[in-house]
Amino acid sequence: MKRRALIGCAQCLALSGLLGPAASRAQGSWLAPPRFERPDVATDEGGLWAMMDREETRLRRSPFLVRDAALQKYLQDMACKLAGSHCPDVRVYPVRTPFFNASMAPNGMMQVWTGLLLRVDNEAQLAAVIGHEIGHYMQRHTLERLRDVKSRSAFGMFLGMFGLVGLVGQMATLAGAFGFSRDQERQADQIGLALMRQAGYDTHEAPKVWDNLRLELAAVHGGDPSLRNPLFASHPGSAERGEKLRELSAGDEAGYVGEAEHRRALLGLQAQMLEDELKRGQTGETLALLGRLIERQPERADLLYSRGEARRLRAADGDLDQALADFQRAIAVGSEPPEVYRSLGYLLRSRDDAEHAREAFGRYVEKAPAAPDVALIKSFL
Amino acid sequence: MKKNIRARLAMLAFSLLLAACAAPVTRVEVGEVTVGKRMAVKVDAAWNQFGGGLTAGIPTWTMEGITIDALRFYTDVKDGQTFGPANPPKGRQPLIFKAAMQPADIVALFQSLQTQDGSSFTLDKLEPTEFLGGTGFRFEYSTIRKVDEVPLKGVAYGRVRDGELFLVSYSAPRLVFFPRYQSRVESLIRSVSLRG
Repeated sequence: MKRRALIGCAQCLALSGLLGPAASRAQGSWLAPPRFERPDVATDEGGLWAMMDREETRLRRSPFLVRDAALQKYLQDMACKLAGSHCPDVRVYPVRTPFFNASMAPNGMMQVWTGLLLRVDNEAQLAAVIGHEIGHYMQRHTLERLRDVKSRSAFGMFLGMFGLVGLVGQMATLAGAFGFSRDQERQADQIGLALMRQAGYDTHEAPKVWDNLRLELAAVHGGDPSLRNPLFASHPGSAERGEKLRELSAGDEAGYVGEAEHRRALLGLQAQMLEDELKRGQTGETLALLGRLIERQPERADLLYSRGEARRLRAADGDLDQALADFQRAIAVGSEPPEVYRSLGYLLRSRDDAEHAREAFGRYVEKAPAAPDVALIKSFL
Repeated sequence: MKKNIRARLAMLAFSLLLAACAAPVTRVEVGEVTVGKRMAVKVDAAWNQFGGGLTAGIPTWTMEGITIDALRFYTDVKDGQTFGPANPPKGRQPLIFKAAMQPADIVALFQSLQTQDGSSFTLDKLEPTEFLGGTGFRFEYSTIRKVDEVPLKGVAYGRVRDGELFLVSYSAPRLVFFPRYQSRVESLIRSVSLRG
């Protein structure tokens, strides 16, 4: 236990940024701690593991778990490449949730949300996030946070006894806890980069994850939420993370990117991921995301349809014209989803073009005779 | 499986207990009741009506408890008004109703509201139907609530009349409660009329 703590502490120093970018780059040969033994259940760490074990049992039965054996294997193999000797202890679960996120529990359970899978352009970008999560695991950050929160809450309660002055002290304690979390995030970013390097991934892809996320955050209703209250943000801003990762990867040689492999792994899941993204009803963010994806893959009819549908539903100035162009382009490209004809029909119907609307609805019914809304569509014919 | 679902429902009920304490609950008596400004509903059995924060300002009735089944009335939603809670969480684009919306667009609004917390939503059926004395639409849907992973089934009737949206939805756990109340709820919804 003491040995592990010592190794952990040595990594903290090496990766905390105190040694500067050049020294951190030398951590390409970063020494991971040895595999963890299951902690004694009577300890706080053992209790945390037991809690996460129960959560993992629940997750295995969860209807939100993506039961796609090929995708599960793809993610597991990738985590193994990054985790090295810890591979047998890391278990990856893809979870159907349309938000950008991944998480790692101290017992080795990792969740990768479908919103993240949709947003990364290639395997190297996904490796940057999975590597980051493995970094948290290897540094046992959750345990550190648990202990930090416990000590801060006791201290905060003590301060609370001193009225207004104590309240200010409590706020400072809370801000300190978030600061602690931000340091952990920075450390995990750097370990993730080291793991990418060791596994042969192209580290120049890591900052792009945050650049892409910034585009979407800028389109969030009311502006980038991370800029609103930076004092209490538990994560460093995406601009800072992108810049730091760019700086740390600047001297690295190009490595494995894996764009085609990533696309292949997600093939069976694309339609559902795009549908879930549309259902969020957050058009600004969705359009920022789809615009970026279409720039990379302009011939994908499903992306064109989704962007057109997001615009049709928003129906702001100029949206319907652009939606019409996207639908027509999707049909011209080919392999279009049947829903494109339904959306085209609705768009034309809203413009009182009854004849062409009927034609489009007819194509939809022909291509998707068992669709749940066929009875309504038939009433338009 | 049923035991598991019951345990989760109990957990959810407990976690919402404190909030529920603050929410005013009133009994909806048998007879004709006005919901919103002018929606007249013929009630054949007593319901509980919740108000306050739990329902985000949407009149909500329940038979078994708000964490189990919920009959919601979205009434008098005018062109340009927010659909659902009047004050959506910060950073969330409000769901705006437009009078020119077609049934599928209104279903899309409804599903965006249901999936805000990561819950799933599947449209099972969408069809034209008589509602509020004219042609409206009826849809059935399935959701899995993210917070406790309970599968729910739902049905809703909607219509845009004189540029205003009226939509009544009912949802309950799929296996027991939804089939128990579906026909009673649907006849209640079909009985709804508008005053004035």
